[in-house]
Amino acid sequence: MVLLGGEVRTRLLPTARPLRAAETARLLELRPDEPVHVSARPNAHALSPPRPVGVDCALPTPDGTRVRAVGTVLSQASVTGGRVVQAHARTGATAAGPDGRRPWGHYLTRPGVVEPLGKLPEGAVARGFLAGGGPGELDLGLIAQRLLTEVLRHPLPDRQEPLPTPRTRLRWVALWAADAEAPRLERFTIEGDELRTARLRLPYDAPPDAVAAFCADLALHDWLLTTLIAVLEEHPPGDPPEAGSGRVLRWVVDQLLHLWMPGVRLDERLAPLWHALERTPGFTRQWQALAQHVRDRTPRPVRCRWTNESEAGEACGRRAGYPK
Amino acid sequence: MTEAVFREFPDQSRTHSVPLSHVSLEMGHLYAEDFAHEAARLRAHFAEAGPWVDAVAVSAARATGGRRPRVSTCFLVDDYFAPFSSPADVVPALIGEAERAGLRIDYLVRESGLAEADGFPLARSVAGRLVESPPPGSNGVRPAAAETGWLANGRRSPASGPHADPSAPSGWHPPHETAARRHSVFLDAELWDGQGAGRTFSCAFLAAVWQLLRLGLLRHHGLPVLRPHPWDGSLPGTWEELPVVLQLNPKAAPFAAYRTCSLLPSGYLPVEHAVQVILEQIQVDAEALHQVAERSAAEGVHLPDSVAERASYIFYPGP
Repeated sequence: MVLLGGEVRTRLLPTARPLRAAETARLLELRPDEPVHVSARPNAHALSPPRPVGVDCALPTPDGTRVRAVGTVLSQASVTGGRVVQAHARTGATAAGPDGRRPWGHYLTRPGVVEPLGKLPEGAVARGFLAGGGPGELDLGLIAQRLLTEVLRHPLPDRQEPLPTPRTRLRWVALWAADAEAPRLERFTIEGDELRTARLRLPYDAPPDAVAAFCADLALHDWLLTTLIAVLEEHPPGDPPEAGSGRVLRWVVDQLLHLWMPGVRLDERLAPLWHALERTPGFTRQWQALAQHVRDRTPRPVRCRWTNESEAGEACGRRAGYPK
Repeated sequence: MTEAVFREFPDQSRTHSVPLSHVSLEMGHLYAEDFAHEAARLRAHFAEAGPWVDAVAVSAARATGGRRPRVSTCFLVDDYFAPFSSPADVVPALIGEAERAGLRIDYLVRESGLAEADGFPLARSVAGRLVESPPPGSNGVRPAAAETGWLANGRRSPASGPHADPSAPSGWHPPHETAARRHSVFLDAELWDGQGAGRTFSCAFLAAVWQLLRLGLLRHHGLPVLRPHPWDGSLPGTWEELPVVLQLNPKAAPFAAYRTCSLLPSGYLPVEHAVQVILEQIQVDAEALHQVAERSAAEGVHLPDSVAERASYIFYPGP
């Protein structure tokens, strides 16, 4: 493989309360015979088994270069903190392939790989993955969205949006390069309200699964930051009490602030990727500043362990969305 | 990379292996209507089967370089589509008629166990491993077989879709088999009907599960499914009480094998064509596949990479 491309879609689970580990596992059971990886430390995280989807179509290219490829895209879903759901579709392309399509069994034994018919126009396809697929072209975003819709069709304990929050898309491409000694995040761009793009360069020993896991982690933390920025913009200081800012900020403190843990399940070989983001724009710095701002403005009763007032205790029991 | 000090998961990744013969020979299927003709139909079947059973053993010896091949025989009883009679009535007749023709049934298998057994939904789990062969032009967003319950070996004719306009024959386009050699043999197989708990799997789909089971390629969270149960000689009054895979012959070669051969009347040809189409589009457990490849290579037995090509058939004249 010479390049990997993917798209991650991230949104809040539409439930009043966070899902429990067992509920999350049921949601992500894409293949009954393969386990959902449920982890409780250092935070609650569940990852579905990867599911391959067969494709035989043109790869996306922004300049009209036509290249047909055959193989499989891996789609995978995850839930973090019982709160944030992500669907991911990704595939890797080989530098060249035969002139004709091979028997399907050949592609089935190489999950997450597409082979071009002929030579891969590497640069054009890399740009195409970031630009998204046109009509008839491979569109990883649609495959991810399809999985997200399928996961959310499962019965949920309740179905209500606790808060209007953004839904983000991260398109990414990673190129293996002979001269790359350490993995490098070349560019991370906020393209608009929803869309982000990332371009990575990798040494040859970077495992595709770990690269995809990094991109999902990046998408998750970008979503958290985007959500916090949106909440504060919607509820600026000095809001009249009837605007309900107190309730919203308290909900954010209860349900989202503890989810910030960049890189906790990251393959050590990819650690430099997060370091780059921490330097510029300073992801965690911004998060900590905003989180502190939210806490400072959150009405006190939510910090029930610091007070013995019965009223505060009641407020605590009524925490947004928790059943009594 | 340094080894992680903290581990949260028990080792879920280990895939257990199963013992393997060279060939798993299916000596027949038994349906309610076959048994309705009492012993006559069974007698005729085993008489027909006898010479072929010998031929399979001879053929298997070619692949082992003259060493005695391990061949296990099995027989499938349909208790899924139309449960009939009882093990106490059927099994002794079956064993008796086979022996009369000089044959021995090593394993008896219940078809309903291929759909669900011991609370484990085997057919549903195999359905979860369908990865459809995409006809040219597929970008991964068409409705999957997992939703429609239909699986094809190519591109369907658009005119046969739900939006077809019967008054416009000029709008008709032919279907196309993806792996066609010049001309297509297009097949669209129904995998199941009904939804949720009311889902009934088709004969073709269960037969594909049956092939994968005999090829030793089914696992659940890494563990082999439906391991053979030794027979203690007792026969219950209902099929549900009988183990799904019952080992009748204690000295039998292993149930699963590198290859399968199924001895069937030619009326099964369309079903088995569908089985081939299904097998070509199932992504089996990679580790299970790897284990079988390693073991066969160590024995000097050549195996095709394609799982579908590991299944062979002998069709004798009959409905």
